[in-house]
Amino acid sequence: MALPLKIRQPAKRSAARELLRNLINYKLLLALAIPGLLLIFMLNYVPMFGIVIAFEDFRAESGFLSPFIGLKNFELLFSSPVVGRLVANTIGLNALFITCETIVSVSIALIINEIGHRFLRRMYQSIMFLPFFMSWAVVSMLLFGWFDYEVGLLNTTLRSAGLERISFYDDPNIWPGILAFLRVWKSTGSGCILYLAVLVGIDPQLYEAAAIDGASRLQRIRQISLPLLVPTIILLTLLSIGRIFYGDYGMIYAIIGSSAALWPTTDVIDTYIIRALQSTTNFGMSTAVGLSQSVLGFICVFGSNWITKKWSQRRGEDYSLF
Amino acid sequence: MINRTLSDRIFSAFNYIVATLFTLICFIPFYTMVIASVTEKRALIRFGYQFWPSQFTLEAYQWVLRGQAVLTGYAVTVFVTLTGTLLSLTLMCALAYAMSNKKFKPRNPIAFYVYFTMIFSGGIIPWFITMRAVGLYDNIWALIVPMLMNPWWIFVLRNYFNNLPTEILESARIDGASDLQILTRIVLPLSTPVLATTALFVSVAYWNDWWHGVMLLDFADFRPLQVIILRIINNIRAIREAMSVPGSTITIDMSQIPALSIRMAIVVVTIGPIILVYPFVQRYFIHGLTLGAIKG
Repeated sequence: MALPLKIRQPAKRSAARELLRNLINYKLLLALAIPGLLLIFMLNYVPMFGIVIAFEDFRAESGFLSPFIGLKNFELLFSSPVVGRLVANTIGLNALFITCETIVSVSIALIINEIGHRFLRRMYQSIMFLPFFMSWAVVSMLLFGWFDYEVGLLNTTLRSAGLERISFYDDPNIWPGILAFLRVWKSTGSGCILYLAVLVGIDPQLYEAAAIDGASRLQRIRQISLPLLVPTIILLTLLSIGRIFYGDYGMIYAIIGSSAALWPTTDVIDTYIIRALQSTTNFGMSTAVGLSQSVLGFICVFGSNWITKKWSQRRGEDYSLF
Repeated sequence: MINRTLSDRIFSAFNYIVATLFTLICFIPFYTMVIASVTEKRALIRFGYQFWPSQFTLEAYQWVLRGQAVLTGYAVTVFVTLTGTLLSLTLMCALAYAMSNKKFKPRNPIAFYVYFTMIFSGGIIPWFITMRAVGLYDNIWALIVPMLMNPWWIFVLRNYFNNLPTEILESARIDGASDLQILTRIVLPLSTPVLATTALFVSVAYWNDWWHGVMLLDFADFRPLQVIILRIINNIRAIREAMSVPGSTITIDMSQIPALSIRMAIVVVTIGPIILVYPFVQRYFIHGLTLGAIKG
C-alpha cells in the first residue's frame, strides 16, 4: 500500500530530473534492442526482398537486380511434373508427423503425470529426452548402422539367425513410416514437457473432488486432464499447421539425401530446392517454388488461426494465436 | 490414493508398462551404439548385434582420436557452440528485456517485427544469396551469425521477464537504478530457469547444426563434426550405389569405408559432451518453458 506514495515522492522532488532519466533509459533500451533488430533485418528481412528473383532471369553477377521476366518461372514451375509429387509429399508427411507426434506426446505426458513413483518418473523423463540431443546427421549414421544391407546390425543379425535380409534403402514405401517413427522418437521427450507443465499446474482438489464423486482414474483423465490440455494442443498444432508447406529438410536431407530410390515418397519441396541450389540450375524457378511455399504457408497460418478463433469463441474461449 | 479399485490398479500397471517400453525404445539405440563402438569389427560383421561384446576393444576410439579431421571438427564445433550460445543469449536477452519494459513505446511494433519472421520468409535461395553478399561464407562466422536470433526464444524470454514481480523492479527504479543495472543485477539473476533452458536449447542447436556447414562452407579447410559425419554417410552411399549398378567394373577400396565400430565411436564422441550438460539444467526445465510465447 505504501508503494504508490513512494513512486510519487521522487517525481515531486524534481520533475525535470525524472524526465532526463526516462530519456536516458529510453535510449538505453533502444541501444539494447537495436543490435538484435539489425541482425534480424539482415538475416530475415533482406532475403525477403530476394523474392523478386522469382520474377527474374537470375544471373549470379547481378544478384537481386537480374532482368525481369514476369511469371515465366511460375509457368515453368507449374508445368513441371514433379511439383504435384513434391506438394503431396510435403503435406502428407507433415500431416503424418503432426498427428503422430501430438498423439504420442499427449499420451506420454498423461502417463508420466499418473506415475506416482518420483524416482521412476524422473528417470523416465530423463531417458526420453536423450534422443533430443542427437542431430539428424547422427541419427542418419545410426540408422545406416542398423539398416545397411551388407554390414547393418539388423541385417547381420537376421543373417546369422538364418533369416532373409531386408533391403531398406530400396523400398520407398516403408519410409514415411520410418520417418514418422524417428520424429516421434526424437521429439516426444521435449514435446511432452509443454503438456506436463500444464498437467502439473492443475489444482489437485479437482481430482480429489472427482474421486469423492466416484470417478475412476481413467474418467478423471478424460473429464479433467484432457479438456485442460486442449488449449495447449491447439496452440501447438496451429503452429505446426502454419508450417505444413515447409518440409523438415533437416531430417530428410540428412537421412534420405542422395538415395534417389526413396524420393517418390520422401522428396519434399525443401529438399528439391536444396538440390537445385547445389546443382545451380534455375535459381529463378527454385525461388518461385520458395515464394509459393511462403505465401501458402502465410495463408495457412492465418486460415488455421481464424478457424480456431471461430471454433473457440463459440465455446466462450479464445485459443487463437493472434 | 483413496479407493483403489481393480480398474485403477490395471490402469496404473498399464501406465508403468507403456512408460517403460517407450523409455527402452529411447535408450536401446544409445546402448547398441556404445556396444558396437567397443566391439571388435570382424565380430560385428560375423555375429551382428550382440547384447554384450564378445571381443572388447577400444581400437575404434584410438583410430577416431588419431584422425586430424575429427579433432579439427571438435575444435570448430566447440568454438561455434560456446561463442554462438553466449552471443545469442546476450543479444536475445537485451532485445527481450527492452520488449518487456512497459514504458518502452515501440515494444508492440518490435514484437510484430520479430513475430513476422516466424510466419513469412524469403526462402532458401534469397537467403543463401544474402549470406554470400554479406560475407557469411567460407568462414567460421557463417556457422555462428545465421543462428543468433531465434524468434521463439526471444518471446519465451520476454514473457518470462514480463512475469517477474513488478514491485521489485519498481522499488529498484525508485532507489535510482538504471535499466541496465536492473537488467544485470535483478532481472537476469531472477531468470536462471529460463536462461538455463534457453542456453541448453540454443547450444544443442549449435552443436547439432550441419545445415550451415553444408550450405555456407565450400573451400574452407575446416568442417564441424556434424558435417564430417554427413560426409562419411554420403561417401558410403555413393560407394553402395556404384556397387549396385549391374555389371559395374568399379573396384571398391573397402578401406575407404570406415568400419561400423569406427562410425559408432564417432557418434559416441559427437553426442557425449552435449549430453553431459543436460543433468545440470534439467531441474529448471518445467519452470523455464512457459508456453503462450506469442500472446501476452
